[in-house]
Amino acid sequence: MLFDLIPFSLLVTVFTIAVIFVGVLTAVAYLTLLERKVSAWVQDRVGPNRTGFDFGQPWLKFLRGFFGLGQPLADGVKFLLKEDVVPGYVDRVFYYLAPMIAVGTALLALAVVSVGDTPVPPVLQTLSANSSSADSPRRVFPATKSELAAMNSTTNLSDVRAGYAQYNNLSTIKFAIAPNVDIGFLFVFAIGGLAVYGIVLGGWSSNNKYSLLGSLRSSAQVISYEIPMGLSVLGVLVMVGSLNLERVVDWQARHGWLIAYQPLAFVLFLTAIFAECNRLPFDLPECEQELVGGYHTEYSSMKFALFFLGEYTHMITTSFLTAALFMGGWHLPWLNDWLSPSMTGNFDLSYLFALLIKLAVFVAKMFVVIALFMLVRWTILRFKFDQLMALAWKGLMPLGLMSLLGVVISRQFMPPGMGQWGFQCAFGLVSLVIVGVVSLLLPTEAPKTVLSISRGRSHSATSAPELASRAS
Amino acid sequence: MPPEPFDFSLTTYYPIFLFLGAVIGFAVVSLLLSYLINPGRITTSVKQMPYESGMDPIGDARQQFDVRFYLIAILFLVFDVELLFLYPWAVATYGEYPVVTPSLQTVLFWEGMIFLATLLLAWIVAWRKGVFRWR
Repeated sequence: MLFDLIPFSLLVTVFTIAVIFVGVLTAVAYLTLLERKVSAWVQDRVGPNRTGFDFGQPWLKFLRGFFGLGQPLADGVKFLLKEDVVPGYVDRVFYYLAPMIAVGTALLALAVVSVGDTPVPPVLQTLSANSSSADSPRRVFPATKSELAAMNSTTNLSDVRAGYAQYNNLSTIKFAIAPNVDIGFLFVFAIGGLAVYGIVLGGWSSNNKYSLLGSLRSSAQVISYEIPMGLSVLGVLVMVGSLNLERVVDWQARHGWLIAYQPLAFVLFLTAIFAECNRLPFDLPECEQELVGGYHTEYSSMKFALFFLGEYTHMITTSFLTAALFMGGWHLPWLNDWLSPSMTGNFDLSYLFALLIKLAVFVAKMFVVIALFMLVRWTILRFKFDQLMALAWKGLMPLGLMSLLGVVISRQFMPPGMGQWGFQCAFGLVSLVIVGVVSLLLPTEAPKTVLSISRGRSHSATSAPELASRAS
Repeated sequence: MPPEPFDFSLTTYYPIFLFLGAVIGFAVVSLLLSYLINPGRITTSVKQMPYESGMDPIGDARQQFDVRFYLIAILFLVFDVELLFLYPWAVATYGEYPVVTPSLQTVLFWEGMIFLATLLLAWIVAWRKGVFRWR
């Protein structure tokens, strides 16, 4: 009775939200343990290994140990029970708002990211009757009334409608909260851009010099690296023609992974997401040695936990995004031949098995990226701030343009298939080498004490005593 | 009523708003929970002080900051708006099923190249003006 009133898709959505929410929170909790285990392994330590599930009870002694698997639970309880220190002079509203924004934006970006196989809506195919044979297959884009009428009368459209009906029937199991959102990964970037507000507000409202410096650095860093990220993803867009992540994965399943087409774009994207997640070597906003904790110096207990949660969720989201954009999502070569009866619409055991295999492949790819995150942390040293900015604007920016140029030229002048693949791959790698060599040949700038650009041109260095005399 | 001929429907967006509600609920509830069950606060004047590695803070934290942060923000705006123009250009001109005919594609290719060249010029000017210099 009650269930008749609620649409079925709503129930499915609520269920998906619950599963993904709990899954992500658990994954974040255990990622912190994994991070500690990996760092212990790199530094030849043992890492957390005692906290099991014995809760300090002698009669539960046999549950002690377990590689420290109880550690996340203990951390969570500790975060909840810690004293909530709020220093004086903080801006209370923004002080409480900042961790909420940080965790909210990180989680919300996950909404459109698919974690497994979701059915792809049918593509509107050609108006083959109307278009001349010289034209490549094009989407229906009616310009005039007669074209619209032709489109409505074509049999193709009924095919599309039938396809849509079938698609709607298929979409009962979804591995994304909001599947087939057409703005797709642009939504992730937009929400990820909003994450800056959490950091800036946290730093500003703390009324602490460390926090403010950390948040200023972070905002400059995040907006600087957003541009190479957008440029690298443009290459994907030129090939696929849709921001919809399911379509991107579907394209890669049919034509090959985009990491093979555009290795340069992949490297750029990877660098940019390291910076967006504030991970080493780009963790200047929170470098412990200089700024104590950066923007979350003044945060304690659950408020700090929310910042932490947001950071790790962002890592998960961007890892899924990398897997979907460049590493083929759920696709493995020959997997589809092996799992032939998938997506036939019959909800049987083999269909379920295929879905589970695809989910496992997707998650495994995500873990490859996460492992890279964790190993790079202990491999590459932190940059200085001028190096960070120089890398973004002088290194990644031209490389992003070159990557886009290579893809566009190949699409314009090369035959589809191997020709485009070879040209894009070669163009990207050659431009990487060229920019690398040029950056080595460029003269390094002498350190300058004061730089004045107030009148629109840069002056030479002014030493401190000179400046003091000028001021007096 | 038959489905729309275009592969766009606004209903795909409603789960995002549901999820937004769940996320806001989670953030508020976790903060409230920690506020309610944590032990009572003992505030001392030292605890109330901004943390600066044990030193007494001198002056307000909200001081002037470097103008270069501002320049980076302006530059970001320029290049991000550029990306905003390039996204629809890429979808319309290329993609698996281009919207435009091949003859129009060639025109759009050269227009895109002119646009990118203009951007490159802006980037070189910014470099020459020393915006990227952070020492």
